[in-house]
Amino acid sequence: MMIDRRRLLTSALTLGAMHAFPGLSYADARPLVFATFTGSWEEAHKAVLVPAFRKASGDAPVVLDPMLSVDQIAKVNAAKSNPPIDVMLHDPGPALVAIGQDLVEPFPVENSAYYKDLIPEAQDPNGPAPFFQVVGLTYNPDTVKTPPTSWADLWNPDYKGRVGITNLNSTLGTGWLVEVARMHGGSEANVDAGFKALEALKPNLAAVAANPGALATLYQQGQIDISPGNFNAIQILKARGVPVEFVAPKEGAIAFKTTIHIVKNSPNKELAFKLIEAALSPEVQTTLTEPPYLIVPTNAKVAMTGEIAKVLAKDTDELKKKFVFQDWKTINQQRASWIEKFNRDIKI
Amino acid sequence: MKSAAIAPGDVTRYGLGLAAPLALVFAVFFIAPLAQLFYLSLHNDAVATVWGLGQYVKFLTDPFSLSVLGATLLLGAEVTLLCLVLGYPIAWLHQRAGHWLQTVIILIVLLPLLTSVVVRTFAWIVILGRQGIINSTLQSLGLISTPLRMLYTQGGLVVALAQVQMPLMVLPLITAIGRIDTNLADASASLGAGHWRTFFRVILPLSMPGIIAGCTLTYAAAITAFITQSLVGGGQMLFMPMYLYQQASTLQNWPFAAAISIIFLVAVLAIVALFSTLGRRARINGDAT
Repeated sequence: MMIDRRRLLTSALTLGAMHAFPGLSYADARPLVFATFTGSWEEAHKAVLVPAFRKASGDAPVVLDPMLSVDQIAKVNAAKSNPPIDVMLHDPGPALVAIGQDLVEPFPVENSAYYKDLIPEAQDPNGPAPFFQVVGLTYNPDTVKTPPTSWADLWNPDYKGRVGITNLNSTLGTGWLVEVARMHGGSEANVDAGFKALEALKPNLAAVAANPGALATLYQQGQIDISPGNFNAIQILKARGVPVEFVAPKEGAIAFKTTIHIVKNSPNKELAFKLIEAALSPEVQTTLTEPPYLIVPTNAKVAMTGEIAKVLAKDTDELKKKFVFQDWKTINQQRASWIEKFNRDIKI
Repeated sequence: MKSAAIAPGDVTRYGLGLAAPLALVFAVFFIAPLAQLFYLSLHNDAVATVWGLGQYVKFLTDPFSLSVLGATLLLGAEVTLLCLVLGYPIAWLHQRAGHWLQTVIILIVLLPLLTSVVVRTFAWIVILGRQGIINSTLQSLGLISTPLRMLYTQGGLVVALAQVQMPLMVLPLITAIGRIDTNLADASASLGAGHWRTFFRVILPLSMPGIIAGCTLTYAAAITAFITQSLVGGGQMLFMPMYLYQQASTLQNWPFAAAISIIFLVAVLAIVALFSTLGRRARINGDAT
């Protein structure tokens, strides 16, 4: 590089100016980028979380950049020293991947006003869980007259050719298989019993959907009448008038933590922390428990009302009793080989 | 014809210059990422630190992976064949039809392109479902007592893909068949050839460029149609795009996913090359006879 007088002068001026006005370098800095999920997540976060964050941060600029967990990880991985995202949102599987690849900044627990109020399962110093996703039994009340009570009901011969499941690509599919294995004596470390049960389920299977979204839409077509399903996905269908009900099985509804993380090397760590604080706050979580969002809260101080109280739990104690939490660290270790086995064996 | 082929020689020189912006875009946004993909595929471990051909060996020695590749290529062949069989008569009709009817045919062929693939695919879910249009019609006619399973089957998928990709077949065919001088058929007839003979010896060889172009486009679109494959085919029918997605997205095994893409690309290129060789041979044979 040629160093001439003019260049030297500009550099010196710039450096001097940056020293004199430290705010100047922030003018170049980008707004806080929050990678939420697409669809109803984005809607809920835009309508409730972002306004709360703006209020708490004195109108700091924030951008929602909805994308899949895998894309979040890829984008951060591609530019580790200057990540384009400040806050990530993850399902349990990808969260462990992100932590394993050292993409996550520890959450400053000691500075947080709400962390201690979270139920213990939602506390994680690598990134707390502001929301739960809940998986239970879904059925069409027009065709399934006796509401199911157990995962075992899916094997009921009455439902021949009417049961839907998803493959193991999704958190839902994998978590459900683990639960089925558990019912038959297996565990997160050993799902052989689950695969054996899947084999026996084949006559009942009407559909193995590619993802939970596709599974939920099959109720509209009458393709399936009963399936494992995501509480929130079902609420959206129900609101549109599709005949579908959600029930927590007696074995316990599967609860997945959706965790929120500060990205390592983020230039907006302060703001990222504030956004997460807002997500953990009882105000935001309370609003999100109301329709149309019906998101299950993790802050023990949030009262559960309405549909959540009716079909899931009235308070944290009941929630802990009725929910099943899974060990995704163990699940992740063998998930690849399960997916491979599912690919090979499950053909209907 | 010969003189027309030589004359535009000068024109192509200007054409290359004008193509430079596109070529640049192509190089930056296609060639470079492809090179990166290839680079990634040459690693043995999931985090891409150890060099090696392990991913290729893993795929090519695994009967299951090979069966996924085979199933995908077969699916493409089935869809292409169905498109050709259904699309050729439409293109043929287009040439024979009057001006007004031609416009209608073009409109009908183009119409699906104006709606998104997702919408078209969802329409097929409604048609093929347990309480879908076909099943409820058959049931009300008393032809079946329990609904047929059509959604999430290979047959259902082939039909849906054929409809979704049909314009890609029909448009090149219309162009190619439209260029055929209708007098040739009359000439053939006056020389004593019957309808079938005229079709197979005159019309079919002359429409070969359209068939090749249509088949190539349909084939490539059908085997890579991730959305239609996963929505109508379901989660238990595994084809290359879903296999790739699974490895890259769910399992984060990027080098293996990259190797799958490269193998898929090579396989598709081989098929496309086969198409064009067949086409050229057919044309040479056509000229010779």
